[in-house]
Amino acid sequence: METLKSSTLQLAQLTKTYHSFEAVRDLDLNVPSGSLLTLLGPSGCGKSTVLRMIAGFLNVTSGQILVDGKDISHVEPNFRDIGMVFQNYALFPHMTVASNVAFGLKMRRVPKEEQAVRVREALEMVQLTHLADRHPSQLSGGQQQRVALARAVVIKPKLLLLDEPLGALDRNLREGLQAELRDLQRQLGITSILVTHDQDEALYLSDYIAVMNGGRIEQLDTPIALYDRPQTEFVARFLGVPNIFSSKVVSSTANEVVITLGNQPVVVPTNQNKPAGSECKVSIRPSHIDVARAEDPRQGITATIQSIHELGERIVYHCAIDGLKIEANAPRISSSERFATGQVVKLVLDPSHTILLRD
Amino acid sequence: MAQTSDRSKYLISPALVIGLFIVAAYGYFALSSFFAKGPPGTQFAGGPTFDNYWRVLSFGSNQEVLLSTLWASFVISVITIGVAVPMAMVIVRAKREWIGNLIMLAIAVTFLSGGVTRAYSWLILLGNKGLINLGLTSLGIVDAPIRFLYNWSGVGISIAHYLLPFAVFTLIGAVRNLNPSVEEAARSLGASRTTTFWRITMPMLLPGLMVTLVLVYSIALASFLFPMLLGGGKVRMIANQIYDRMFVEYDIPYAAATAVVFLISAFVSIWLISFVAKKIEKAVS
Repeated sequence: METLKSSTLQLAQLTKTYHSFEAVRDLDLNVPSGSLLTLLGPSGCGKSTVLRMIAGFLNVTSGQILVDGKDISHVEPNFRDIGMVFQNYALFPHMTVASNVAFGLKMRRVPKEEQAVRVREALEMVQLTHLADRHPSQLSGGQQQRVALARAVVIKPKLLLLDEPLGALDRNLREGLQAELRDLQRQLGITSILVTHDQDEALYLSDYIAVMNGGRIEQLDTPIALYDRPQTEFVARFLGVPNIFSSKVVSSTANEVVITLGNQPVVVPTNQNKPAGSECKVSIRPSHIDVARAEDPRQGITATIQSIHELGERIVYHCAIDGLKIEANAPRISSSERFATGQVVKLVLDPSHTILLRD
Repeated sequence: MAQTSDRSKYLISPALVIGLFIVAAYGYFALSSFFAKGPPGTQFAGGPTFDNYWRVLSFGSNQEVLLSTLWASFVISVITIGVAVPMAMVIVRAKREWIGNLIMLAIAVTFLSGGVTRAYSWLILLGNKGLINLGLTSLGIVDAPIRFLYNWSGVGISIAHYLLPFAVFTLIGAVRNLNPSVEEAARSLGASRTTTFWRITMPMLLPGLMVTLVLVYSIALASFLFPMLLGGGKVRMIANQIYDRMFVEYDIPYAAATAVVFLISAFVSIWLISFVAKKIEKAVS
């Protein structure tokens, strides 16, 4: 299939309230054409509500959904030109694979011959041409989801919405399909919104990730920026950062503050204006901490190793800095130095990845 | 443990005993159909004969009652399902829960009120000076009252009303099993609400509809009270005929032959419905 003319999506102050409960609050979002944006968050954060409003299955309380600048928030779902893939596949059980894929074309009154050609192309794209005459119940989960994907893109939609598309699949299958989904989305250049609670999936698939919490976007960033530099405590915790510390600012200059971990000073670069004495929180990933000998010449903090766990790809050190627990990781390769439990070491924090969290 | 599970099969024996008695009674009743009417106080008399069957099958009026029972039951069942589907959908899917609960309550009340009460209520509603006709005439919608009583319309309405709870309760399960995402998928692919209903929802409901149809059809076939009370002797279904032959004419063999013929035709018609249903399900998929 050729590349689609891709559209842009813009959400402007989108709000959804149920009685007094605000599921989505004043959400603003811009999705550049051809990119894949993920709404990531725990269940109940409003991500599915946003997706269902874009699809037209939920009414908008207020705000706008603009596709190519045109507000579609009051258009019936069948006139929105949006392809959607559901977690539970949602194939038509009484139709063959080919009829499933042809359904959207039939609704658009595409001539029979063209239907056949486009259905075959779409099935080729997901490598399922040989199963065209089967019924969905005769297919595996992965095959069903590929049919669903073919069915959604065959209509050349303006947007592709993916609602936890890999959530029902087992791990190995999920990784395979992830790659396939990524390639397909890139190849077609179709503007896509993915909803998931799985951060690995989000990091792998997305151009942009919006982490949602309580109906709002906490942070919108590229996957790497989000992973390396979470801006709030919620994002840091959701992305699995174990080292989040409450501290006090000792002194501050224009682009850095000095805080204490245990009783030791740590310099944290920031552009936030935090006066000395104010409360603050810092986050640092274990993989951004280098465990070194106590006599290492670099700047660092002195800590004692409490326990060591060698796991698959990494060595996990649980350390204590004056009673404060901190986790550090080292790659589990033969060249990395091994330390012993009880040993005093120097923890070298990567300053660009030591983050002063926003309140 | 093996012993207990071995013995557990004997638990069926009470059911078996009762079942055997009932089958024996049915058998005896069926057997009587091959004899002549006996003197008062006896079941039957004389030597074996096919006379009763000949009477059942050859008289035009008998055939008429049999065929009209089968046909009317089928039509009433289809109408009932037509009413029950939207009700089940609303009960399961209404956004405001109280709407579903209200309908459930109304159906439950119907279900629990006795047949005579209901038949009498319909007499009040459907009579020439009943509430419905009173309303229609006073609003000027019709000039003369519509005759509902002592014809198939009144009998059909009351039987359909009787069948409705059975149909709705059965369909609730089927509707609950529908995956709403499938219908949403159809909507996002460009199908209107109506198209989605007919091309996606109904085909998915079809197996449930067919089970319900067979169920309510079987119940409708056995209608006795409503044709008796609302048919006023002018609308007769097969159960009324059997009753008359047993308790008015005291011709038990004749009644038995009627019952046997009816039972066989009921089985055949139910089999036919299921057969056609399977064909339809295959054709749709």
